Amino acid sequence: MMAELHNYLGVGAVLFALGAIGFLTRRNLIVMTLSAELMLQGASLNLVAFSHLHGNYQGQAFAVFIVAVAACEAGVALALFVALYRRKRTLDAGAWRELAEEGLDSGRGVEEPPVAPLLPVHPEFPRLTPAGRVPEVPKRRAGRRV
Amino acid sequence: MSETVRQIALWSIPLAPLAACVLIALTGVRWLRERSHYPCILALVVSLGSSLGVLAFAIPQTPYEMDHPYYPAVVSAGYEWIRIGGLDVSITLTADAMGAVMLAMVTLVSLLVAVYSAGYMRGDPGYARFFAEVSLFVFSMSMLVLASNFLVLFVFWEGVGLCSYLLIGFWFRRPSAAAAARKAFLVNRIGDFGFMLGVFLVWVTFGTLDYEVVLGREGFLQQIAQQHPGRLELICLLLFLGAVGKSAQFPLHVWLPDAMEGPSPVSALIHAATMVTAGVYMVARCTPLFVHAPWVQVFVAGIGGFTALLAALIALTQYDLKRVLAYSTVSQLGYMFLALGCAAGGKDVVTLAVTAAIFHLFTHAFFKALLFLSAGSVMHSMGDVIDMRRFGGLRRALPLTHLTFLCGAAALAGVPLLSGFWSKDEILAAVAAASHGSVLYAKYFLVLQIVAVATALLTAFYTFRAYFLTFWGEERFPGEAGHHPHESPPVMGVPLVLLAAMAVGVGLVVGPTGLFGNYLAQTRGLTSGEEHAIAWMPMLLGSAAALIGIAGAWLVYVGSPGLPGRLAQVLTTAYRWSLNKFYWDEIFVAMLVRPLQGVAWLCRVLDDYLVDFLVDAAGRVPVMLGSLLRPVQNGQVQTYALVMLLGLAALLMSVLNVWAQ
Amino acid sequence: MFAQTDWPGGHALTVVPPLLGFLAVWWLMPRAKAWPRSAGALLGLAALASGGLTLFQPGTAMVQNLLFGFFALVAIGAAVLMITNRNPLYSALWFVVVTLCVCGLFLLRSAPFLAAASTIVYAGAIIVTFLFLIMLAQQAVGVAAYDQRARQPLAATLSGFLVLGGLLCALRPWVPETAAGRFAATSKTAAATPASQSQAILRVGVSPESSAVRDSDSTGAPAVRQAPSLAASPLSQQRNRPVGTVRGLGRSLFGDYLYAVELAGTLLMVASIGAIAIALRTPRGKV
Repeated sequence: MMAELHNYLGVGAVLFALGAIGFLTRRNLIVMTLSAELMLQGASLNLVAFSHLHGNYQGQAFAVFIVAVAACEAGVALALFVALYRRKRTLDAGAWRELAEEGLDSGRGVEEPPVAPLLPVHPEFPRLTPAGRVPEVPKRRAGRRV
Repeated sequence: MSETVRQIALWSIPLAPLAACVLIALTGVRWLRERSHYPCILALVVSLGSSLGVLAFAIPQTPYEMDHPYYPAVVSAGYEWIRIGGLDVSITLTADAMGAVMLAMVTLVSLLVAVYSAGYMRGDPGYARFFAEVSLFVFSMSMLVLASNFLVLFVFWEGVGLCSYLLIGFWFRRPSAAAAARKAFLVNRIGDFGFMLGVFLVWVTFGTLDYEVVLGREGFLQQIAQQHPGRLELICLLLFLGAVGKSAQFPLHVWLPDAMEGPSPVSALIHAATMVTAGVYMVARCTPLFVHAPWVQVFVAGIGGFTALLAALIALTQYDLKRVLAYSTVSQLGYMFLALGCAAGGKDVVTLAVTAAIFHLFTHAFFKALLFLSAGSVMHSMGDVIDMRRFGGLRRALPLTHLTFLCGAAALAGVPLLSGFWSKDEILAAVAAASHGSVLYAKYFLVLQIVAVATALLTAFYTFRAYFLTFWGEERFPGEAGHHPHESPPVMGVPLVLLAAMAVGVGLVVGPTGLFGNYLAQTRGLTSGEEHAIAWMPMLLGSAAALIGIAGAWLVYVGSPGLPGRLAQVLTTAYRWSLNKFYWDEIFVAMLVRPLQGVAWLCRVLDDYLVDFLVDAAGRVPVMLGSLLRPVQNGQVQTYALVMLLGLAALLMSVLNVWAQ
Repeated sequence: MFAQTDWPGGHALTVVPPLLGFLAVWWLMPRAKAWPRSAGALLGLAALASGGLTLFQPGTAMVQNLLFGFFALVAIGAAVLMITNRNPLYSALWFVVVTLCVCGLFLLRSAPFLAAASTIVYAGAIIVTFLFLIMLAQQAVGVAAYDQRARQPLAATLSGFLVLGGLLCALRPWVPETAAGRFAATSKTAAATPASQSQAILRVGVSPESSAVRDSDSTGAPAVRQAPSLAASPLSQQRNRPVGTVRGLGRSLFGDYLYAVELAGTLLMVASIGAIAIALRTPRGKV
């Protein structure tokens, strides 16, 4: 049992590290938050493993609180993202740099590549002709209802 | 007379003008305005009265005083000024014979000039300032004369220099006047530097600065002369350097002609009668020191003679009337130093030499002030034009000025029986006595004698040249003179007349009768009761020189009108050299001013490109450091998180490191 | 870190899995240009294999080992896929997979309630709302520009794996019997290692204490700090007691941690009010 503790601790450490890397690497706010949740899960795993080792409910209780707090945090984070999205219409974490020092170049070497389409436009796909006649739109003259 | 009266009289000589100055300075601009001359003239009347009183007191009355002719006449202990270490300086007023004579002359001339100025300066916006500065000047000058130690002398030496600066630059908005004032001050500074060194050396050698000790104890002086061989000569040389600056001798004479930028009363008071004579006074006062340094006295005589001749040569071609008079002053001051230097001729010549110098100083004050005031009167009538080429034949338009100018010119030239004649004759006699009396320097003084006579001739020539150019010839008025040039008002005329009377009469009254000489002999360093036979040869030579000079001027400028022009064309080089003051100003600029400007430029370049560069570089270092660290704060949350994670990793490593061991 | 103890047998091998993992994750990071991802996958497999060899300590029951291995591998794989995927939608879905696997691990460790609760909360509530927001923010057809490139991949991966390496190296001396450890243990005296000491304790077989659902906490901590004297700690001894019932957890929560539970409830309410307040504000700051 003690031995297996190390397994779980190892897995917990790996999840934590991967979560940290994901947080630092991704620019999407949502994915950053998910990575943070991943780190929390790694920590919960650690706690549960220790709880199992010691044979009491301390770790599990703590993990329950972690879940509760994670839920609060996710809720507030989402609300913040909604508000931020309203301001800048993007979920890019790099868009918010008002607290930067002046004179720094914007972003290190991240040029914005053009938006990549999910699927390439296949030239062989059929093109449909428009259905029906294209209706004529009469010109509007002032004072006369057409 | 009771002691208190003496003391009050003595203190009122400097303090009355000081009070007037303060009063005018505080209230002159706002309240007194056109009446600003009243306090000044009143104070000067008080000073004059007190000076005459002191003159009377200084005659020894008690048998004790008569037996001890070196007893200083009136002493008033004043204020303990400095008492540090061994230096003990107090502001004590001492008026002995020489001082009393100087004071009388200073206050009288000042009073007459002040009265004259009340008319001359009328309407000038700086009227109050003028009289405040004149009062301040009289205060400084009288304190200079009354000082009883070298430090107080030096303080008021600078004080008169300051007043000279203020008054030369009275019309300070005129660039030439401001520049002239600066030049006067700076050139004086050079002399004052030597003077300061001399005072320091006196302190170092004697341990005190009091005249009582330094000049009064012959035995002490002998001791010092034996202990420190060259010391006394050095002191005398340095003190003389101060006199060279203040009294405009070669090579520091360049400021006096430029000082004519000031108003004519200022030229009369300061640059003829009083301030420039301070140098002569100081050297005469230090006669007990100078007798121990014969070659310095010879040097003094040489400088004096050379200056006299040089200035006379320059005055021959000047066309600005005041400049002629300025060079004339330089020349006459040279005469005085020549006389002072003749004391090298031996012990029995000392009194004669010093007396001659002081007597010439005395008479020169009157006739030179008279000449300057007359020139001022001419300027006043001619609309501030003083270029002699632009006016002429003024003797009918300005009769009073003409007469007074003539009196002054005749006195200056040395026309027999006028005051200048007697004093000049005494100087020539002193030079002759020196060349006879001295063994070492006989030939030297012979040369100086020739120089003196030649200068007398030139003096007469250029003085009457000026007179003839101004008052004879056809009547011409410049445009600025307006309709009809009028004679000066009485407020200006009365001082002129009084000065003319003095210029004519005072020499006769006090000179040959021995009054002056006997009175003056009660000063330290001079012995009384010396009898000198009247030296006929110098007297004849002097008179002849004067008359030849006058005749020559008449011939050249009145007799043959085109002659000056033709002479100038023939003697072109000499003429140009004389007209351009022997290029001394240009020499100074090349020798001193340009190198200093070069040094200043170098310093500025160093400051701009080295010091500023270093300072800016030091300032840029934090900026650079900041720019290195600033990219960390790029506003990106993930950058901060990365740094946190790195920190965590480092912490973990260090903890593990510790734990693993 | 690479100190005198257990070198080279212990720590050297511990470095290999993180190193391989670092290379794998860095290889797999999204980049603008085309990149062969298969190499990264291979590196990842190698990392997991070496990690298993050096760190995995098989327990007694085979089923449990298998289940653990399955859940652990899938969790780690899904986590890597989550953080290296370009499409945020896919990342969210991989997160669900990770959550489910972690919940499986919870079950293995006798925490059924926690498994269920975290599934509901994470995979249910959080992911659903996140998906809503992702859909809301999908402006253009396709992957947004900012998702296509990883930000500071090298620095982030390096620092993450430094931390991981440190943690694993801290863990390593406590792993008594691994596949690699067996190789090393035969060649030297294993008496000095803390792992062997704990093993000795285990072999002695200290009798378990009676079960008591009580928090006896503070004495258990020193076991990690000092040179291990695990025998002193009563909590670290092998015990068999019924841990993991919901009832027990409930009694513990509402008995010992009642105050914290109430606070957590208050926190949830405050958070929901706050979220409403923030989300309802217009860009000008007015509600």
